[in-house]
Amino acid sequence: MAHRIVGQPVGKLEGIGKVSGQARYSGDVTLPGLVWGKALRSPLPHARIVRIDTSRARALPGVLAVLTAQDLPDILVGRRMFDMPMLARDRVRFVGEKVAVVAAVDPDTAEEALALIDVEYEDLSAVFDPVAAIKAGAPVLHENPAAYEGAPAERPHPNVQSVLRFKLGDVEAGFGQADRIFEHTFRTQLDHQGYLEPHAGVVAIDDDGRIQVWASNKMPFRLKELLSHALRRPPEQIRVNLTPIGGDFGGKGSLMDLPLAYHLARVTGRPVKMLMRYAEELMAGNPRHPSVITMRTGVTRDGRIIARRVKALFNSGAYAAFKPAPSVNLGGTAMGAGVYRIPNLLIEAFCVYSNNIPCGHARSPGEPQMVFAGESHMDMIARELGMDPADLRRKNLLRDGDHLANGHHLEHVRASDTLEAALKASHYAEPKPGPWIGRGMAMTHRHIGVGFTNARVRLETSGAVTLSIALPDTGTGAHLVLCQVVAEVLGVTLDEVEIEVANTDDFETDSGVGGSRVTHTGGRAAYHAAEKLKQQIESEASKHGIPAGALAEIARAAAKDGRTLEASHFYDAKAHADVTSFTAQVAEVAIDPATGQVTIRHFTTAHDVGTIINPIGHQGQIEGGLIQGLGFALMEEMKTEDGRISTLSLGDFKLPTIQDIPPLTTVILQDQVGPGPFNAKAIGEGSISAVAPAIANAVADACGVRILDLPITAEKVYFALREKVAR
Amino acid sequence: MIRLTVNGTVHELEVPAYRTLLDCLRYDLGLTGSKEGCGVGVCGACTVLLDGKMISSCIALAGFADGRSVTTVEGLAQDERLHPVQQAFVDAGGFQCGICTPGQVVSAKALLDANPNPTEAEIKEWMVGNLCRCTGYYKIVESIRSAAQRSRA
Amino acid sequence: MNDFDYRSPRSLDEALAILGEYGEDARVVAGGTALVTMMRQRLVQPRCLVSLRDVQGLGRIEANGGLRLGALVTHRDAEVSPLVQERIPVLAETFRRVATVRIRHMATIGGALAHGDPNQDPPVTLLALGATVNIRSARAAREVPLTEFFRDYYETALEPGELVTAVTVPAPPARSGAAFLKFLPRTADDYATVAAAAIVTLERDGVRCREARIALGSVGVTPLRATSAEALLGGQPLGESLLQAAGEAAKTAVDPLTDHRGSAAYKREMTAVMVGRVLGQAWEAARRSAQARP
Repeated sequence: MAHRIVGQPVGKLEGIGKVSGQARYSGDVTLPGLVWGKALRSPLPHARIVRIDTSRARALPGVLAVLTAQDLPDILVGRRMFDMPMLARDRVRFVGEKVAVVAAVDPDTAEEALALIDVEYEDLSAVFDPVAAIKAGAPVLHENPAAYEGAPAERPHPNVQSVLRFKLGDVEAGFGQADRIFEHTFRTQLDHQGYLEPHAGVVAIDDDGRIQVWASNKMPFRLKELLSHALRRPPEQIRVNLTPIGGDFGGKGSLMDLPLAYHLARVTGRPVKMLMRYAEELMAGNPRHPSVITMRTGVTRDGRIIARRVKALFNSGAYAAFKPAPSVNLGGTAMGAGVYRIPNLLIEAFCVYSNNIPCGHARSPGEPQMVFAGESHMDMIARELGMDPADLRRKNLLRDGDHLANGHHLEHVRASDTLEAALKASHYAEPKPGPWIGRGMAMTHRHIGVGFTNARVRLETSGAVTLSIALPDTGTGAHLVLCQVVAEVLGVTLDEVEIEVANTDDFETDSGVGGSRVTHTGGRAAYHAAEKLKQQIESEASKHGIPAGALAEIARAAAKDGRTLEASHFYDAKAHADVTSFTAQVAEVAIDPATGQVTIRHFTTAHDVGTIINPIGHQGQIEGGLIQGLGFALMEEMKTEDGRISTLSLGDFKLPTIQDIPPLTTVILQDQVGPGPFNAKAIGEGSISAVAPAIANAVADACGVRILDLPITAEKVYFALREKVAR
Repeated sequence: MIRLTVNGTVHELEVPAYRTLLDCLRYDLGLTGSKEGCGVGVCGACTVLLDGKMISSCIALAGFADGRSVTTVEGLAQDERLHPVQQAFVDAGGFQCGICTPGQVVSAKALLDANPNPTEAEIKEWMVGNLCRCTGYYKIVESIRSAAQRSRA
Repeated sequence: MNDFDYRSPRSLDEALAILGEYGEDARVVAGGTALVTMMRQRLVQPRCLVSLRDVQGLGRIEANGGLRLGALVTHRDAEVSPLVQERIPVLAETFRRVATVRIRHMATIGGALAHGDPNQDPPVTLLALGATVNIRSARAAREVPLTEFFRDYYETALEPGELVTAVTVPAPPARSGAAFLKFLPRTADDYATVAAAAIVTLERDGVRCREARIALGSVGVTPLRATSAEALLGGQPLGESLLQAAGEAAKTAVDPLTDHRGSAAYKREMTAVMVGRVLGQAWEAARRSAQARP
C-alpha cells in the first residue's frame, strides 16, 4: 500500500540547524553567571581514602567551591541498582572514580584547582579479571551488595552483581541425546560507544528553588526521577529542558556528573556547566561490557541442534549503577540462542564486580558479544561436521510459531528468506576470485522495542500542525519520522507539520529514547493523537460547514469559540509484538598472508523490515550500525592493564574513518507486519551485532585461521597463521 | 589582546594566552557551532578555516589567529541561504546527530574550494580526519559528491 | 593549561634572544599540533611560549641541486610544492601520509624534527635521503647530519637555546629510485606500525646495486638507518632473495617498543616484510630511472 509521505525519502528542517551550527546541544547552553565544574579522579584502582586536603584549591583565585563526599549527603546513585556514591566516600574502586569536584570561573582555572587538591590513599588489593573476581578469596569490592536498593537477590559470590538465566527444556537431557558436542570460548573487548559529544550538563537553580537541567541524556523523564531520588527533592521541583544529543548508542542514560553540578550550583548560587573531556569518557564513561562467553552445543549427526549451554561472564567494573534493566544484567544475553530453534537451552550470564571502569549499555546491549560467540561457534561446528555453514543454519532457523527463551512468541518469521537473500546478493556460493579470499556469514535478530510515549498534536490558526513530544533528538531521525506519520494521517504536506520539542513539565512521562523503540512507541502515540485530531477537525468542519481540507479556516472558527483543536495520546506498548526483525550479513575479505592484514572487499547486509517510513533515515541507521560493528570487529579496543586504561584519546582508541568503509550492498525484505505506525518495525540495533562474526567467519574461510577474541587484528591473524604453518 | 576576523567581522579580544581558538570562538564570541569532541585534533568536530585552510581549532591557541581570518560553520551560509555543501548534506542525509556536521561541512567546503571535481578516493582522503559515529560515512560521501555536481551544474 | 607569557618575535635573532632570556622555562611553538596538546594535558607547562609564526625567512623551499626546506615550511606546503614533487617526489609522498590535512596545514618540518618522535613519517624518508639539519643559536650556526640528530625518545641533538632553521636534502644520485611505505594495519588515520623508506642507486650496468639506504620508523626510540641491511646490498646484483635477506637483517637490528599499534614482536616481523617491500619498490623505480637516463 503506497502512502503519500510515509515511505518518501524526505529530508527536513532538523538538518538545517545541524548543518548551520545553530543547533544548541547541552554543552552549548550558556546562562548569565555560569561557572564551570570539573572532577578530580582517582589514580588508583582500589584504595582507601585516608585524607583529602582541599585548602590549596580553595585558595586559588577564581575558584568558587570545592566539594568532597564529606560535603554531600550519603546518597548512592544508579539507574536500577543504587551502589555508586556521587563522590567516593572512604574508598575508591576504579581508576577514574570521582573524588572531589570544583567550581571555578573558567575551565582552565577549574583544572588548575584540581591539581592543587591533595589526596592521600592507602592501596587495597584489587582484582581485574572477572574469572578471578568470583573465586573464593578474591578481593571484595562491596561488602554487602544485597543491601543496595535494586540489588537482585541471587548472589553466589559478593562480587556478582547479577545473574540472568534463560531456560528452555532440559539441557542435560538434551546433551544426552546429542551425537556430537562442541564447546568453544570467546572473548570480546572493552569498547566505548564512540559518540563524539562527551557527556555535558548544565544545572541552574531558579529563585523559586526549581532545578533547571540541560543534559546529554536521552531519557529526560527517567532522568528527572533519578535526580529526584539522588537529590532528595520532589520531582515537581525538577525540569529537564531537552536539547539535541550528539550521539547516544546506549551510553547516555545515566546521571553522570549532574548531581555534582547540582550541588555546586547549590553551594555557589550560580548555574554550573560540567563537560567530560574525551579522556574522561575513555576513563570513566560507561562503555560496553567486555565478555568471556563459553558456548557448548550438542547436535545430531546431521546437524540439528538439540541442546545448548551458554555461560557468559560480563566484566562489569566497579559499580552496577550504569545498568538500567530490572535484572541489572544485559538483555542481549538471550541472543545466546541466536536465530535458532533450540529445544533444550540454558543461558547464564553473570555481571561481575571488578576494579575496572563501570560498564553500561551500548547499542544492542550484550548482543554483539553473544552473537560474535554464537555465530563463530556455528561456523566452527559446521566445519567439524563437514557441512556448509549455510546448510547448518538452514537446518536450525527459527520458524513461525516458535518461542524464544525470553518468552517472546514469533510469527511472520522471515529468517530463511533473509539468509537466502544475503547469500544470493553476496554471491556467496560462487568460486572466490583468488587465493587468500574468503566469505563468511552471520545472522541475528532484534525485536522491536517497547516503552511508553505521550504525544500531542495541535492545529494552529495558520493551518499548520504542531506535534509536541518530549523525546530528545539523538540523531536517529525519529523526529522526522514522527512528523511524517502525522502528515500522513492528517493529509497535509510535511512542510505543514512542525515539531515542538517539549520539556518534562509539558508531559506526564515518557520512557525516552533507546532499545529501538521510538518509531514504535513515539510513532503510535503520534499516529493516534493525529487520528483523534483528525476527528476533531472533521467534526468542527461539519459544524461550521467548512470543507475538511481548509485547516486554517477550521482552526480560526474554533478559536472564535474559544477552543483550540488539540489531541493527545499516551501509547504504552506493554508487551513485545509477535514479530522480530532478522539480519543476515556476508563479509568477503582478503588476507595479506605476509602481514595478517584483513581487508573487507565487500559487505552485504540483508534486513527483514516492516514499512519503512523514511528510506534515507532507515538506510542511515543500517549503515551507521554496520560501521560500528566493523569498528568492534577490527579496531576498537580500550586497552587496560591492572585497571588502568591506556587508550585515553581518539588517537589511541581508534574509531573507523571514512577511508575504512567497505563497498556495501543492502538488501531490504519488506513486509507489512510491524507493530509501529503503518506496520513499521525497528532498525536502530539491527545491523551491528552480526558484523564481527561475519568477518571472523570470512577470515577463517580465507586462511583457515580462527580468531576467538575481538578485535580481529592483523597481528593476531599473522601469528595464528604462523602457528598453523608450524603445526 | 588579539585582533581577528571571524566570518567577515573584526573582533578585538582580551583573552588569556592559554585560550584555544575553539574556546575563543565558542565562549568569547558565542559561536557554538564548532564543537569540542576529542580535544586532541583527531576527530574534526572543531574544524575551522584559518586564512582559508582547514585546521583543528581545539589545538590552536587563539593567539595563532591574531591578525588573521577565521571562517566557522556559521559563516558558510550566504544571505540566509545555505551554502550548496550544507544543502547537499541536508538532502542526502549526510548527518544524523549533527555533532560532527559543522566540521564535516567546513571541511567539505574547503575540499571543493581546492578541488571542485574530486574523485571518491580524493573525497575520502581529504575527509579522513572528520570522524562520524552515526552515519557510517556512506551518505557523507554522497553528500559531497552531490554538492560537487551541483556546483558544476 | 596554566597561564604563560606569549611572545611573537618577528625575526630569528629576536626569537633566539627570548629563548636565551627564559632558558629552560621557555618553549618554542610553530604549528603547535604536538605542543598544545601536551600543554592541555599538563605534560609540559612552560612559563613562556615563543611563537615562531611571524618569524621571517624560515618558510621557503629552495632548490640548490637538492632542496632546502625552511623550518617553518608546513607539511602541506612540502606535500603540494611543485619543486618537491618534481625533484624528490618520495618526500612529497611522505609528507602526504602524515595524519590529516588539518594537521599538515599547521605542523612544520622544523617542529617535527625538533619533536623527536620516532613514530613520525618525514624523518624516516629524510634519513634515507641523507638530509642535514641546519641549526642556529644566538651565537653560532651549525649543521648536523640527520643520522646524528635523533638521540633518544623525544630527545634530539638540539642544545638549550638552539633552533632548527632548515633541513637540507641532497638530490638522489643518478640511476636512483626511492619509495616510502607506511604500514597501517588498523585504520587509515594512525601512526605507522612500521614505516620504511629506501633509496636504491644502481651501477652503470643498471643491474648491480651501487648503494642502498634504508630507514625505519616506529621500531625503536628514534628513527634509524638499517645499516646492516644496507651492507648486504651494496655492490650486489639485486634479486628477490637478496631483498628478503636484507629484510631479515633489518629485523635483527631493530628493538621496537610495544605500543597501541603493535607488539614489539609483531613490529620486528613487519620490519622484515616492509623493508623487503620498500626495497622492491625502490629498485623498480631505480630501474626505470636507469633506463630513462642511463
